[in-house]
Amino acid sequence: MLHLNVNILNAGVFGGSWRFPGTDGTASYTIEHYTSIAKKAEEAKLDAVFLADGPALDPGIKHRTGNNFEPTTVLARIAARTERIGLIGTLSSSYNDPVELARRLGDLDHVSGGRFGWNVVTTAGPVAARNFGRDGEIDHAVRYQRAAWFTQQVVAAWASRTRFASPQGRPVVVQAGGSSDGRRLASRVAEVVFSADQDLEHARAFRAEIRAGAVQFGRDPAEIVVLPGLSTVVGSTETEAKRRRELLDELLPDAYGRGRLAAQLGISLDGLRDDEPIPAGLLVEPDEAGGSQTFYRVVKEIIDRENPTLGTLLKRLSGGGGHRIVTGTPEQIADDIETWYRAGAADGFNVMPDVLPSGFDDFADHVVPELRRRGLFRTDYDGTTLRAHLGLGLPALEGAA
Amino acid sequence: MSTIVQLVLAVGDRVSLSEASALTALARDSGVAAIRLADTPDTLDPTVTASHLAGVHSGIGFVAEVPTTHHAPYNTARRVSSLDRATGGRAGIALLAGDGDEVSDATAPDPAAADPARRWSEYAGVLTRLWESFPRQALIGDQEAALVVREELIRPVGHDGVYYRVAGPLDGPSSAQGRPVVVADLGVLDPAAVAESADVVVVEHAAGADDALTEALRAVGRDRREVTLLGRVPVGSPADVLAWVHEHRLDGVELVPAGGAAEVAAVLRAWATEAAPPPTLRAALGLRAEVAA
Repeated sequence: MLHLNVNILNAGVFGGSWRFPGTDGTASYTIEHYTSIAKKAEEAKLDAVFLADGPALDPGIKHRTGNNFEPTTVLARIAARTERIGLIGTLSSSYNDPVELARRLGDLDHVSGGRFGWNVVTTAGPVAARNFGRDGEIDHAVRYQRAAWFTQQVVAAWASRTRFASPQGRPVVVQAGGSSDGRRLASRVAEVVFSADQDLEHARAFRAEIRAGAVQFGRDPAEIVVLPGLSTVVGSTETEAKRRRELLDELLPDAYGRGRLAAQLGISLDGLRDDEPIPAGLLVEPDEAGGSQTFYRVVKEIIDRENPTLGTLLKRLSGGGGHRIVTGTPEQIADDIETWYRAGAADGFNVMPDVLPSGFDDFADHVVPELRRRGLFRTDYDGTTLRAHLGLGLPALEGAA
Repeated sequence: MSTIVQLVLAVGDRVSLSEASALTALARDSGVAAIRLADTPDTLDPTVTASHLAGVHSGIGFVAEVPTTHHAPYNTARRVSSLDRATGGRAGIALLAGDGDEVSDATAPDPAAADPARRWSEYAGVLTRLWESFPRQALIGDQEAALVVREELIRPVGHDGVYYRVAGPLDGPSSAQGRPVVVADLGVLDPAAVAESADVVVVEHAAGADDALTEALRAVGRDRREVTLLGRVPVGSPADVLAWVHEHRLDGVELVPAGGAAEVAAVLRAWATEAAPPPTLRAALGLRAEVAA
């Protein structure tokens, strides 16, 4: 059975989402935005809501709304207002204390009745680093060494914790990061992998690699759920969907799109006109990139393949960073989801609606029923925990070092 | 004005989460200003618990105990600020004096510094300044002009101290009460250590506390009326406790019932007043309605 999460990425995945007509531009700064989308996701029987996070003010804040609530407090509140929906929160392995985090996340799992999942990330960038006493970001490989150590500490703390057990034993471990280091970490500890992929064949190979890697760590590959990010633009007709997408491109604040791309690639785009190609010669190999290698790789592959002008590339990404975007009718989006699922490229998707809440309302009201008609998605929850929704047992990770 | 009451609950230890939920409603209806969530090895995480209880019951404040130990200040500032905004300006922190955390220790400006009271002062100062670094007036959401914020109003804190270096600014705007309330317990801390940052001071030994606090506040240019002084008591008859409160010029009490849910409920019924819930925790604690952020 297909798995679906909704990524409540503040106002939506598109850089211009907060400006979309009929959208309250600052709604994502209110808690009700998150609780109401979570309720809607529960009505649609999704596996979980997903919250991205980073401990810093996004330098692009001037032109785009940012994530601005800390995930454990948001998810504890959502837990109080829902019954079944899973709750996945991103918490940094780079800038948390493992003793504290293990306790807080374990308690959140208990309080929510076994619905919590921890998305383990490393935190790139100098802005977050400076909030924790550092002058610059921690080196990529060191971040991942720490992440592996950190995750083991947390999982071990959960295993030894008996006072506040939860019905699912312990939180689900989610990992997001497609770099070489990230893939190793995923094979070793992840139960859900949140990946980024533009290409079906590549995604298939990625999923196969993660599963094969898991076997090498003595794990059952069936105990890993791979969910690529999927940005959706839904219209009742193809023309309407395309028009919505074009409008979002127009609404993308230019300064935001350029700033985000420059930061992602680690190069300056100053002076480059929209009709000029991206200077591919300035780009290093993905494994040598310092920031998020996943998104660096996705964007570099587009540049290598298509040699787009800056303007074309900005439109293609639309401030969304590099997750795949599908634009179309509910049937067309369901076709795409079904194709990837049946091809073994995905166990489901981390759905990133273009605009929130409207884009998710459309997905829940029209795409989910279409998936259900095809027998691909549940009509009701079977269990009460996130593990139950994902079809996961309680794995033994302790011997995985 | 009437006596302010803050109720301490050890959720997960003496009362279960579901009992705490029922007690929260009773406390609100009894005119209690805030529930203080204790942090011990036997309790659930106070910020998680506060956020959960606030998701069920509105109209009452929540003060989460958070020790400096294991918590980097930027993370604490974000989390308590999130709680404060989610509750519409009804959150606070009881910052407990302690040690450092694994993340900050790696970059501690003076690795040898280890005085809990001095650490507390520096930490609390970082919190309050982070909470003021992104005033909510900066959030404009001008869709036409493609401007989310007035960036010039958002200021990094640039803290470079003995225990911590924190650049800021915070990633979210301030709440309806400006910033979360800071509660300080005297004991490990003395009045001088808490004078700059505390909004509420809690004492067990009330004799002389008012004078000592007044003096410490004056030394940093603050007025005694800017701070609420609470006396911490197990239980006891309200008449006796109130006499003690008045004798020592306290502003209210922090009730710490020793027993389970039934005992807490009995205490609440004995203390019940019929006050309408004030709009923010600051107002409930007799503080100025809003801190200029």
